[in-house]
Amino acid sequence: MDNRAEVPYGTLDLMVLKTLDAMSPLHGYGIARRIEQVAQGALELNQGTIYPALLRLEQRGWISSKWGVSENNRRARFYSITPSGRRQLTAEAENWSRTVAMVNRLLEGET
Amino acid sequence: MTGVRVLLSRLRGIFGGTTRLDEEIAGHLEMLAAEYERAGLAPDEARLRARREFGGVAQIREVYREQRGLPFFDTLSQDLRYALRQLRRSPGFTAAAILTLALGIGANGAIYQVLDAVVFRTLPVRQPEQLAIANLTGNGKSVPFSYPAYRELAARQQVAEGMFAASNAPLRQAILRTRGSVETVNAALVSGNYFDVLGVSARRGRCFNEADDRAAAPVAVISQAFWQRHFGGSPALGAALDINRAAVTIVGIMPSGFFGESGANAPDVWLPMSMQPRVLPTDWLDAPYYSWLEVTARLKPGATRSQTASALTALYRELPELGSPDFRVELQPANQVLAELNARTAHPLFILIGITASVLLITCCNVANLLLGRATARTHEIGVRLALGAERGRIIRHLLTESSLMCAFGTAAAAGLASWGSRALVRMEGWQLTLDPSWRVPGFIAAIAIVATLLFGLAPALAATRFDLVPALRSNRRTLGGGSPRQFFGKLLIVVQIAASLLLLSGAALLGRTLWNLQHQDFGFVRENLLRVDLPVEFGPGMVSRSNAQRPRLQERLQAIPGVRSVAISSCGPFSPWQRTGWASTPERPLQKTDYVRYTYVAPGYFETLGIRTLAGRTIDQNDRAGTPPVIVLSDTAARILFGKANPVGRLVSLTKIFQAKGAALVAGVVQDVRYSPRDPYAFQIYFPFTQSASPMTEAVIRTAGNPSALANTVRATIHDMDSTIAIGNIVSVQSQIDSGLVRERMMALLTGCFGLLALVLTTVGVYGVIAYAVERRTQEIGIRLALGARRPQVAAMLLRELGMLVPASLAIGIASTLGVSRLLGALLYGVAPQDGATLALSTSLLGGVTILAAWLPARRASRLDPMDALRQE
Repeated sequence: MDNRAEVPYGTLDLMVLKTLDAMSPLHGYGIARRIEQVAQGALELNQGTIYPALLRLEQRGWISSKWGVSENNRRARFYSITPSGRRQLTAEAENWSRTVAMVNRLLEGET
Repeated sequence: MTGVRVLLSRLRGIFGGTTRLDEEIAGHLEMLAAEYERAGLAPDEARLRARREFGGVAQIREVYREQRGLPFFDTLSQDLRYALRQLRRSPGFTAAAILTLALGIGANGAIYQVLDAVVFRTLPVRQPEQLAIANLTGNGKSVPFSYPAYRELAARQQVAEGMFAASNAPLRQAILRTRGSVETVNAALVSGNYFDVLGVSARRGRCFNEADDRAAAPVAVISQAFWQRHFGGSPALGAALDINRAAVTIVGIMPSGFFGESGANAPDVWLPMSMQPRVLPTDWLDAPYYSWLEVTARLKPGATRSQTASALTALYRELPELGSPDFRVELQPANQVLAELNARTAHPLFILIGITASVLLITCCNVANLLLGRATARTHEIGVRLALGAERGRIIRHLLTESSLMCAFGTAAAAGLASWGSRALVRMEGWQLTLDPSWRVPGFIAAIAIVATLLFGLAPALAATRFDLVPALRSNRRTLGGGSPRQFFGKLLIVVQIAASLLLLSGAALLGRTLWNLQHQDFGFVRENLLRVDLPVEFGPGMVSRSNAQRPRLQERLQAIPGVRSVAISSCGPFSPWQRTGWASTPERPLQKTDYVRYTYVAPGYFETLGIRTLAGRTIDQNDRAGTPPVIVLSDTAARILFGKANPVGRLVSLTKIFQAKGAALVAGVVQDVRYSPRDPYAFQIYFPFTQSASPMTEAVIRTAGNPSALANTVRATIHDMDSTIAIGNIVSVQSQIDSGLVRERMMALLTGCFGLLALVLTTVGVYGVIAYAVERRTQEIGIRLALGARRPQVAAMLLRELGMLVPASLAIGIASTLGVSRLLGALLYGVAPQDGATLALSTSLLGGVTILAAWLPARRASRLDPMDALRQE
């Protein structure tokens, strides 16, 4: 039995933003690897799903991208967070903490 | 904000593939595989592992694409491709539907384009809303200004930004001589500040100004239309014009949209006011009692009309020796004057657009019926798709896409048709209109195209998708029940078509009869073999004595031409551009306010030549001379109005408002009434001998033995040979003059006739289609009935019952709406009442007969089926 968790709905965007906030610019592979490293094997990530998420964030103007050269000398798309992306990250992170705290209280109350 | 950004980026995303994604994925997989290789896996193994880790590439791409573009457009292009395929599959049906729609929408577009140009026509000047036409009003009537009154008022006033004077009437038929040929032009005398106050400038050259007017410079500005007509567009600046024997130099050509300040009358030539004494016989510039000018003022910004008018009134009343306390100056917005004129011009166009709208309605019904029939043929396909889980909305959208696509093709053709049709219409009518493409015209066409699509597309789509799946899927297309919504809907369409067609046919019949009545009415003279020679009056000193000297010689010379039976010479006769009105009274009956008395001056032989019957007494002859007692001849109506049933011959008529024995004329005879134009409402006519009056001749009328037009050149040469100074205008037969006066009536009759015919054809096709469809649907049943011994007429009757009470019911609706709507034709009709029973009966029986025939043909064919063949059909 695999005890790795699926990516909770809606949190992939937050994880990508946080990753890019910590280290930009980064290509898609780098972002996926970074998220997996931080999760320390506790997360089951289909690496491909990162790309629709990147497109979504770019469409909203929270990240920007441009072509660059990867460490193995291939053309790769490098993503960086924008100022409005940082604002969004702060807001979303607070929101997330509130949600987690609320769920925790709810679960503690049950036991 | 974010929403807008997402939408924009998605719109960009519609065009563009997934190459960027593909490249990113490839790079990603490579990096991942390299990682595994470094961890010690074989290259093949590493690539496989990387793919597993990455997830399904195809799914990612799908999600990415949905995220990237707009799903709505994706399905739209899918729908469009599908619809195109469907349309290509039945090219006959598609072509018929597109053609019908193109005709329906195009006809509306064409009429609308003209209507738009008429209704929204504005004065072609700077800020027309500031212009106001000044009227001198007093004692309940309006009089024009005299030049001294205008000059003083304009010089002293400070309430308006400017005032100008223009005169059109006296020079409307000015004579323009060009190397031997003579034609008439519409010239206007205008004050020097005219163009300046209007705020317009010339397209080529310059407009004249106050300095030109003060210096009495012999200059002229011409209209674009006149430039094209007279100079054929070749250089005209600096060219000389001989107008009423005064030489003027062209200094400017106005742009094509400029038609002057009133719209009622577009001059060919504008002349400075100071030219007046040189182009007209008497000097009116110093005649304070001669009123002949229309004055227009430009209000100051912010000033109201009433303020300006009362200031001008006060000023006018105090003008030394010119003003009068009995009159006041009234200002009428120039825009309003034009709008009233526009509304009158637009009346027949509103009727035409009503007619084309009905045609479009019939068109839509027809296409809807075709679509409905096709949807029925596709019942099985639609059933399968519904069963496979397609949403009803999606299928409706599909069917609507097909209709919209057809309508789009139809509309594209209609736009071309509309622009061609509107131009043809304006040419036919001879309107001076510029058909500038305004945004309203494409807007209108698009709007009716959308309405039409909804009308003919949505309802069939709704009806076609509302049914039980089970029978539809049982694949037996021929047993669908008769009470389904689409059956009802199909019948409703037939009712609308028949009713609207009756309306159109009745309208066409009424307008057709109007034309016939106008053409074939009794004009009071014999119109065949009659040639009219226009002799434009050259104003100038001695014009009457010159005319009197030329007249007998002219009559004699024309009489001598072979093929000429007799010659009449007159002034202000039928079809003359000139009209002369006056007063008439007897001791018992002074002039009434409603009297419209027309004076005509004739030479001996006039009544005999025109074939006007003498009812009593004698006509004018050689013995009526300058010295003999004055005589007149009355028209029948004039005699009855003045003398009732008493015999008028030998009685006295005074040509004043109240009878005066001195100078009264003796009634020599009475002749029948004559119409001076096709819709002439005035029959109160008085004829005078030329010899006893002071009027120049305006036309010669020649009775010929054969085709009158063939003599035109001989007549022109003869007159020119006799006296080359006589100005000769048009020489045309009276018959063609009658015809050219009926251009609008002919156009209305022709257009409504064509539309009525179109409606008849479309309705026939519709009815035919309903019965033919019923035959197809019930072939097996017919076979069984025939096999079981049903007689053929019974079978035909059974099929005709499909129409049931439909035809009589829709004819009844049609009759009711015709009676309600035909009143609108009112003023256009002549000699026939809008609710004329015979016309309505005729069109009803025509339409009824044709529809029943259209239904009977397929029914008869069905009743002749071979039962075995019918049964064997699927």
